[in-house]
Amino acid sequence: MPDFEFFLQQLSNGLTRGSIYALIALGYTMVYGVMKLINFAHGELFALGAYLGYTLLVVFGLGGSLGPPLAIGLSIIMVVGLVSLAGYLLERVAYRPLRSSDRLAAVVSALGASIFLQNAIMLQWGAQYRAFGADLLPNVVFHIGGFNLPLVRVLVFVAAVAVMAALHVFVHRTRLGLAIRAAAIDQGAAKLMGVDVQKVIILVFIIGPALGGLAGLLVGVYYGQINFNMGQLYGLKAFTAAIVGGIGNITGAMVGGLLLGLLEALGEGYISVIWKDAITFLVLILILVFRPTGLLKERVAEKL
Amino acid sequence: MLELVDLNVSYGGVEALRNLSLKVEEGELVAILGANGAGKSTTLMTISGLVKPKSGQITFKGERLDSLKSHEVVQRGITQAPEGRRLFGPMTVEENLRLGAFTREGDSSETLAWVYDLFPRLKERRSQMAGTLSGGEQQMLAIGRALMAAPNLLLLDEPSLGLAPLLVKSIFRTIRDINKSGVTVILVEQNARAALKLADRGYVLDVGRMVLEDKAVNLLHNPLVIDAYLGSR
Repeated sequence: MPDFEFFLQQLSNGLTRGSIYALIALGYTMVYGVMKLINFAHGELFALGAYLGYTLLVVFGLGGSLGPPLAIGLSIIMVVGLVSLAGYLLERVAYRPLRSSDRLAAVVSALGASIFLQNAIMLQWGAQYRAFGADLLPNVVFHIGGFNLPLVRVLVFVAAVAVMAALHVFVHRTRLGLAIRAAAIDQGAAKLMGVDVQKVIILVFIIGPALGGLAGLLVGVYYGQINFNMGQLYGLKAFTAAIVGGIGNITGAMVGGLLLGLLEALGEGYISVIWKDAITFLVLILILVFRPTGLLKERVAEKL
Repeated sequence: MLELVDLNVSYGGVEALRNLSLKVEEGELVAILGANGAGKSTTLMTISGLVKPKSGQITFKGERLDSLKSHEVVQRGITQAPEGRRLFGPMTVEENLRLGAFTREGDSSETLAWVYDLFPRLKERRSQMAGTLSGGEQQMLAIGRALMAAPNLLLLDEPSLGLAPLLVKSIFRTIRDINKSGVTVILVEQNARAALKLADRGYVLDVGRMVLEDKAVNLLHNPLVIDAYLGSR
């Protein structure tokens, strides 16, 4: 039944792609939740993650010297660490000085940071596509009937979902997670509880970029090639995913990302590859028009 | 215990408090009365460190408070149940209470038991979302949440707002119990009569200025207060 196998193909493709969107979307949504500000430079932090991974795995050749599993594990740790640091610096330099000024000033600053980072990446790594190399992971493909499932597709999906599960536990089961949620609901009230909101802001500017950077590395490993302006399209799609799930809502970002990935993969499989990006943004427009609070809007209204 | 001296606060050029001074002794229950916009909530928010004074000083147990950040004020033992309650609506009752104990290092189960003892309704509804509670229950949660830090000084902003008279009575009775257990209380209220019946002393604010200060019993019989805030019986 080739039709069904084709469907499975697109489904698995969509889930993996969606899990990457979800990882990036979490960065947008966590920062927005606490700051009520779109971090427009987030897509560039994602790209930075991809390029740092490229430098470690390809330029330094960690993949050849350490063997793929260890090399990728080590790269993940280093990329996550470095991109978190970049996120921290971004908050310190581009946002914190503008905390008490107009929201528009912060938006402009965010856009400026985005342009700066994108150009810095281009100057450092060049404007041409960079290849991760096909020999990074063993080219294993599972054949289930006529349905082909590459190992890398499974690994990327599992890695993304594992990180999201860990984040979910962190946000819902720990004291700091409670503080993040509280600051996202009402900063003033969180302060009255003794939450140091400045620390919470730093924390989301570390966690968000960490997830984005990881997503960048995963894209490099999964698709095999990266480009300096990849942050733009991925950023926009992940942003769409965050809006679809309800911006500020952590579970929403995960659901929105997966949904968008599925929609895109099924759209390109059954409608047209050329229209896949148009489909994404049509979804964004429809959501903004008909359900601006997103699919998973908070069910509980505040009573006064 | 707490002293405010010549406090001046303004919001974007608009004066909210002018040369405000007040003093609260350990164990007291002090009421701050005044009309809407008199600066009552501003006073509490300034003590809590969410609003910074332009000049003047706040001392608590001999330490300057006015330069501290809000979370440091909570660490010193001052908590607030703010106007409008400001609960974390999409969180459960128990999560709200856990946030109240955010600054505490050790085990706070004893305080939790005390809060549930004061407000048994909260125990019944502990896994319910705070936003789905009735108005009275929300007020109980706001007070309970502020108690979770085991404060020395509790700031209560309009706890009777929007509640049925019977509930107001029960909430005020609980406030008295809390005070009796050793927590110093500053109570901001528009319901002046009820507040003065409860309080040891009272202050009356008018457009950002302190206009009267006296024992609560005296204020209850002060013609000025009766005219302006108590109305005729």
